[in-house]
Order: sequence, then structure tokens, then C-alpha cells
Amino acid sequence: MSSTQPLPHGLKSDQLFVNLGPQHPSTHGVLRVGLTIEGEIVVKAVPDVGYLHRGTEKLAELRGYPQCVVISDRWDYLSAMNNNLMFCLAAEKLLKVEVPERAQHLRVVMCELNRIASHLLFFGTYGIDLGAFTAFLHAFREREMVLDLFEMSCGARLTYNYIRLGGVMKDVDAAWLAKCREFIEFFKPRLKEYDDLLSFNPIFLDRTKGVGRISAKQAVAWALSGPNLRGSGVSYDARKFEPYCGYEKYDFEVPVGKDGDCWDRYYCRVLEMHQSVRIIEAALGMMAEGPVMGKGVAKVPKPPPGEAYAHVEGARGDLGCHLVADGNASPYRMHIRAPSFINLAILQEMLVGERMSDVIAILGSIDIVLGEVDR
Amino acid sequence: MTKEELKAALEKAFPGLVPASQAVGDYLTLRLPDAAQLLPVVTCLKETLGFEYLDMVTATDWLGPVNLDGFIREPNFNVFLPEGATAQAEAPKKTAGVEYRDAIELVWCLSNLKGRIKVFLKLDLPRGGGKAPSLVGHYKAADWQERELFDLFGVRFDGHPNLVKILTPDFTVGHPLRKDYVHQKDRFD
Amino acid sequence: MSEDAKDPKPEAPKPVPETTTAAAAPAAAAKPAAPAKPAPKPLPTPVYNEADGRLLKERRLWPTDMWRDPWSQPRYRMAWVKLIVLVAVALGAALLLGEVGRFAVPVTSFLLEKGAAYGLPAWAPGLVWALVKIVLVLHVPLLSALVFVWWERKISAHMQSRLGPMYVGGFHGWLQTVADGIKLLLKENITPTAADTWVHRLAPAVVVAPALLAFAPVSFGKDLSAADLDVGLVYVFAMAGVSVVGIMMAGWGSGNKYSLLGGLRSAAQLVSYELPRMFAVIPVIMFAESLNLADIGAAQGGYWFGVLPRWFIFYPVVGQLSFLIFLIASVAETNRIPFDLPEAESELVAGFHTEYSGMKFSLFFLAEYAYMTLACCLAAAFFLGGGTAPLSFLDGFLPSWAWFLGKVLALVFCFLWFRWTFPRFRVDRLMDFNWKFLLPWSFANIALAGLYVMVLS
Repeated sequence: MSSTQPLPHGLKSDQLFVNLGPQHPSTHGVLRVGLTIEGEIVVKAVPDVGYLHRGTEKLAELRGYPQCVVISDRWDYLSAMNNNLMFCLAAEKLLKVEVPERAQHLRVVMCELNRIASHLLFFGTYGIDLGAFTAFLHAFREREMVLDLFEMSCGARLTYNYIRLGGVMKDVDAAWLAKCREFIEFFKPRLKEYDDLLSFNPIFLDRTKGVGRISAKQAVAWALSGPNLRGSGVSYDARKFEPYCGYEKYDFEVPVGKDGDCWDRYYCRVLEMHQSVRIIEAALGMMAEGPVMGKGVAKVPKPPPGEAYAHVEGARGDLGCHLVADGNASPYRMHIRAPSFINLAILQEMLVGERMSDVIAILGSIDIVLGEVDR
Repeated sequence: MTKEELKAALEKAFPGLVPASQAVGDYLTLRLPDAAQLLPVVTCLKETLGFEYLDMVTATDWLGPVNLDGFIREPNFNVFLPEGATAQAEAPKKTAGVEYRDAIELVWCLSNLKGRIKVFLKLDLPRGGGKAPSLVGHYKAADWQERELFDLFGVRFDGHPNLVKILTPDFTVGHPLRKDYVHQKDRFD
Repeated sequence: MSEDAKDPKPEAPKPVPETTTAAAAPAAAAKPAAPAKPAPKPLPTPVYNEADGRLLKERRLWPTDMWRDPWSQPRYRMAWVKLIVLVAVALGAALLLGEVGRFAVPVTSFLLEKGAAYGLPAWAPGLVWALVKIVLVLHVPLLSALVFVWWERKISAHMQSRLGPMYVGGFHGWLQTVADGIKLLLKENITPTAADTWVHRLAPAVVVAPALLAFAPVSFGKDLSAADLDVGLVYVFAMAGVSVVGIMMAGWGSGNKYSLLGGLRSAAQLVSYELPRMFAVIPVIMFAESLNLADIGAAQGGYWFGVLPRWFIFYPVVGQLSFLIFLIASVAETNRIPFDLPEAESELVAGFHTEYSGMKFSLFFLAEYAYMTLACCLAAAFFLGGGTAPLSFLDGFLPSWAWFLGKVLALVFCFLWFRWTFPRFRVDRLMDFNWKFLLPWSFANIALAGLYVMVLS
């Protein structure tokens, strides 16, 4: 139905332009989507980002490498450990630092815990997007425990700055390890609970199955990554593609969806939590005594001129860091491959033809963090 | 497919391609001789070599150390430092041996998801009015990333359907990630 | 404490008890005028890590600690005690009060007597009695909204493993809603510039007035209805239908696109769910052979086989089906999850009441809870036997209004339970569900009910 179609009695029908955001409960931050709707059907969608642009890539050009780790916390603040790790891996490639084994295991444990925390937040907010409020607080109960664990290990609950150049900030003690095991034991049955509460709820299935389909071809063309790509059936995971931090030593699977609809993307994340639990258990078992900081990292490191690219599997996708050094104490150029930014671009193509209420379901299933989109 | 095989295949098809003097880590990094070579190389990579995934598009301004006037606050602003204390990180200086030049270097990173290999392509553009062909026709992922480069570096991409600012606000003058960017006072300072 | 002891202020000497022994006397003299302050409560001992002296978070309760042994928590034990006491007090009050309906006759005769004594015109006692009844019945939606908002917050909190309001009023934040009401009263009353001012202002009144009026014929127990209407059922549904106009006015008059979408969705939803809701009640009318709410309740008195109450919900197939359809349609009529599309928070911000603030907003809120109470009262009267006892031996144990209240509370709990368990429907699915599922089944139900009536007669 086009807008110019004449109606009987000389009435005329018109399209409605709706601003979804920047202040809207379901845009998960300051995203604005200009929607042109025809009744309840979206005719045109124009995502507008940049409300949270802080120019961190520019800031890094004047900060020392350890200071850049602090900046990295602020991109994807829901899985800041992965951001720390991504920057440190790139910088360590430039500095040619060996990371001790215990630090490797600790990095893995922290990153996977953070992935769980981040996916829990997705689980909760996705429930809220679709009107199921209870799932949110159930997820937050467990997320709170992860944050407690982080607080015990590094004192921060959101921006950790825990993974440092050459290792990690501080070793964890036996009490922490015991608490971590306790959490894992507590968390495993909860995953079943989530499935009962939300994943297989008929109304939830109705809202998400077959909605917002992304074909595998489309997903690769738009360079989606993380659960959004895997939901479409493409098994691409940086942990398997180019293992870092000894991920090749762990036995885990990469969950892959079939249809590429909202439910597949959602359930990929839930299954990833299962795998994260597996990895954490293995890492806790493999944890060896030893130092947690590599030797030869200066207070003000000045890597030799060169370029490095490191990418990790963040909670939202393939987090990459392209670092250019020119021998100074700060990076000459730092570029972040922000998965949220790249995943978000597909919205302009996907939303067309969907219903107004599906827009929220799709937007939620893409799982963006605006801090990372705008950097 | 290994790195060497890929390198041999590409260099055979495109004799103009040379390994970049500054490689990105251990990845295969190739330098394009000019902008016109980009599309044929990318087409070959995508269609015959299976590089269907555009990881990222980025750029580096090789003018030299960053101009401090491009930052809103004074560098290393720290209220706890005593008067006259040395800054925590000194302002960047030119290092001998680094190829500073009047060019913006574009970097494309392409992945072959099945073959587990990445390749980096580099291309130098002149800083004033340099133009590169857009990859939107090949990879839709290039859409926003090229807009981002246009916004932050002022690089123009021929054939991009919607080359407008994306990250910085409308009133920003200049392209912030250029090394000679100078911050203009606006109503929020 | 030592500074206090050195305080030069003269203090009254402590009377030394006569029986003080010689050994204790010097000790008392050494600390002559220690002020009689209670010792400060000792701070809990922090737990430090032995290795590096870092503060461990052992004292923070994890869910694991809470779930391992809830009975070890004094607050948990105390809460159970309080709950049992509360229920006992409520039962005792109900037993003491007995049937409230019996006061009607003495009060009316007293009013007539006084009217005659003071020489008032003949209509005056009737008017006073009507006013009394109006005031009494107005308390039902208003007080129930007050209580149910608090209850909903507690229920939702406990479903979400948290506590909900705990401070205002002492016992589990029971005054929270009052505090919120006061807050809403003090809020600025904003009318957006783009709004159609009069429509915007009038909308809350149009929504809330029929919600309150609809309570008139509801029979809350034996002889407890404000207006004993013969067409009470039709009246209630007619009144409930008027609110759609108010919601549309709110959606249109706010000058907000989201409100407009919400208002239109609401109109579509409410109008379509009226149908199965009405049709679900038709079997009840056929069985009870009356449109009077009190008569419908009374028609369900008595017991099958001396045990099973003759409630309409226990009529095989027909009863359960119409109860379910009525319940689902009622949830949809009250705009609650899973049918809260008109005010879908995550899609339409807050739908038709996005632009309302202060008391205008709380009127919408009040109307929602009033309709919920009304729906529960109707369901209790239509399907759960009104004021009759659920088991034969309990007949007469509690007054009828207490049974009615219990049934309403159970139904309200279901409403709250749905709200905090289900996600939200999608608009087209909502309509599909109504037109393709509820409505055909309610027709089939009527046919089946006709068969029953034929067989029984």
C-alpha cells in the first residue's frame, strides 16, 4: 500500500515518521532510528548513531599504552574484560611480551565470566523488550554474582582495567577461586530455569521465531559477527579462527543457529553461556601456580615502529584492534573494529517491511552497546 | 590455503601488488599500486579466493605526530599533579626510520572464513582530495565503515550511495582523526 | 566515651545501693559519673583476606547463602509469624463482623424514622441512603487500587527474587501506594504544547468515571450491592465499554505519535475483546436465567453429591471453557501483560498515557486497577459462585462477603501472576488470537450450553 493510494470519500492516507530514540526505553542507549511507518509496517528505517561519540581513537593518540587500556573499558562497558584483552593482545604483539601461563588462564576465566555477565544482561533486556519483566531480574541476580567476583578480583564492577599489558593486574586467591566454583555450580541449574522461563515460552517463541531473518549470505555480506552471524548458521568464532590466550587447549563448541531469526540469535547467546561455563570449569582446573605478570613491560612502554592487529571473540562479536606504533609512548593510530557498529548497519536493510513491534524484537536481538557503536 | 599460496596466487594475477614495507603483524599485507587496482583485486579475492567477509576498513594519516591543538583539553589533564610537574606521557615526536609522508593510508582487512586466513590490503591516498573506489558493491559492511572514514579522515569513496557524516556532530569542522586536525571552539566548549 | 567521662558538667551522683559490698565500692568510686548511655551497637567484624589484608566480600549475601537455609534468617522466620498473625486477624475480623448485609434494614428504617421525626420530605431518607451506598461502593475500586498496587509490587518482587517496598509504613511497605499517591498529587500537571488541550484534559475523567460507575450493580455478598439492577450484567459491560473512548481521546489529544499508535491499538483491542468476553458470559446467563448479578451468584448455591459446589465453572467443559475465555478476554480488557499493547512500554514508550503526569496519569492507573477488580468481581460472581462457600461443611463458617473477597483476591493474584510471567503479544497475533480462537470457541460454547440446558430441562 503506497502513501499516494486514494481512499474513498476523498480521505487521504499518509505515512508517519516516528523517531525511535534517542530517548526510548528499548534502544539500549542513545540510538535513534528514524522510522517511516505505514500503519504498523515499516517502510524505511534510518539508524542514526554518534550520540555517544567520544573520539577515543583520537584520545589514544596522546595516551600511553597502559592508559589506553583504561579507555578500552569504555567501549563495550558490558564486557570490558574482552576489550581490555583485545587491546592488550594487540599491544603485546607490538611489544613482543610473553604472558605467563597463570595469567593466560586468568584472562580466559575473566573473559568468559564477563561473556556470561554480558549475555545475562542481553537475556534480561531482551525479555523486557518483549514485555517479560521477570526474566530481567532473574538474570541480574546471577550477573550480580559475577560482578561480585570481579569486585573481589580487581575492585571494579563495570570498568575493570584488570587485564594489563603483559598479564593481569593482580592474582586471585584461593577464596576467589572457591567463590568462582560456587558461582558455576549455582549457575548451571539456572540456565535450565531460563529456558523454562523465557526461551520456550510460547508467546516468546511466537514473537521471535521467523522474525527478522538474516540469511547466511546476508550476514556475511554485512560482516556481522558473534551470535548474530552464528545465529544465521555461519560458524565463525575468533576463539577457533585464530585461538588466543590458549583457547585451543579448551574443549568447547561453537553454537550455531539455523534460520537466522531473532530466536536463533537469542538462543545462540544462551548456548554460549553453557559453553562459557564449560570453559571456566576447564580453566579453573588447569590453573597453575606462577606469576601473573610477564617480564620486561616498562612503566611507559615504547614499542618499536610497526603494526599489529589482534581480534578476540567479544560478547557482541569479533572485536578487533588495529594498532600502529611509531616508536612513541602512545599509539600512532588505534582503530577498533567495533562489532556493535558493524552489526548495527544491517538494520537499515532488515527493518524494512517489518512491523513496529518487531522492530523492537529485532533491535534487541542484534544486541548493541552504544558505547561501542559510537566509541 | 596458506599465506604463501595466497601471496603467490595474488602476485601472479596482479603483478602490481607488492608486500607492504610495514606488515600488519604476521598477516599477509599487500600494497596496492593505485586506487584503480582496488576493485579488480577485491573482486578476485572475493570471487575466486573465497574472501567473502570484509573485516574492517581503516586508515592511518602518515603526516607525522599528532597536533596537540586537536584535543579539547590540555594533554594529560590531571588535577592531582603538582604545579610544574612533568606530564605522564610526553607529546609524541617524530621517530627516525618511520616513513612519514603526505598520505593517508587506507587499510582493508578481508577474511576467508572457511580457509581461516586474513589478508590486509593497503593503499596510499594523497591527503588533499584523495579518492578511493567504494567497496559497498562488493561488501555491504563497507557502507558504514566508509562513512566513518569519510567523517573522521575526509577520505572520499567513489560510488558510495550515502556518503554523509556518521559519528561526529554536524557542527564539527574538519576531520578529527587527521593528524593536523585543529579543534574549533563550538557552543559546547 | 573517655571524653564524656571528663565532661566538667556537674552530674547528679549515682545513688549507690545500700547492699554494695566493700569490694565493689571502690570500683564504683573509680568511675563515678559514667553517663548512662547504652553501649553503641558493635559494627560487624569485617572479614579480611589473610594473605594481603584485602576486604573479602564474604559478608555480602549471595543467593546461594540465602537459599541454602532461609530459616536461619531471623527476618525470614519473623515474616512467617507476621503472615500467620495477619491471616488470623483477618479471619477473626470476618467472623466478628458477620454478614454486613443485615445492617441494611436497620439503617434504612432508622433513616426513615429520623426523616419522619424531623419532617423532611419523603425523598430525603432515600437520597441519604443512596449517598451512603455510593460512598461505600466508591471505596471498593479506590481502596482496592490502593491495596492491589502494593500487592502487585510485592508479588512481582517475590517472583523476581527481590523484596519490593519494605520501608513505608513499617510492615512490608504497606503504605507505599499512599506515599506514591501523595507524590503523584504533588507532581506538576503538564499539558504538552502539541496537545489538544480539552481532549487531553478530559480523557482521564472519561476513562475513570465509567470504571467507577460500573461497580454499582456488583453484588459483593449477600444483600451487598449498591444498585440491585435487573440488567446489571448488561449495565456493567456497557459501562466498561465507554472507557475505550477515553483511551482514544488520550491517544489523540496528547499530540504524540506513540500515544496515537497506542490509542488506536487500544481501540482495536478493546473493541474486539469485548465480543468473546460477552459471549463467554452467555452460557452463564442461560444457566442462571437472569441478568441480575446477585441472582447469578445465588443460582450457584448448593452442592452436587453434597461436596462439589454447583458453581458454573464446574459444569463440565462449558464452564471451564467460558471461564478461560472470560479470564483471557478480561486480561485483554484491562490492558495488562500479555495484552498490554496499548501501553507497551518497550515499544510505544507508555502508549496512550505517555504525555500524562501527576494525578492525570494516576487516574489512568486507577482505572486500570478498577477494571481489574471489576473483572475479578465479575468472574467470581459468574463462575465461582459469588458468596457461596467452596465446600459444603464450610457453608456458613465465614460471611458471604468474606468468601467473595477471597475469590476476588485469588483471581487478582492470577492477574498479577500472568503479568509477571508472560511476554507481550504482537498486534496481529493478538487479533488472530481473538478472532480465530477465542470468538469461535465462545460460539461453540454457547451451542454446547444450549445443549445442556435442553438436556437438563
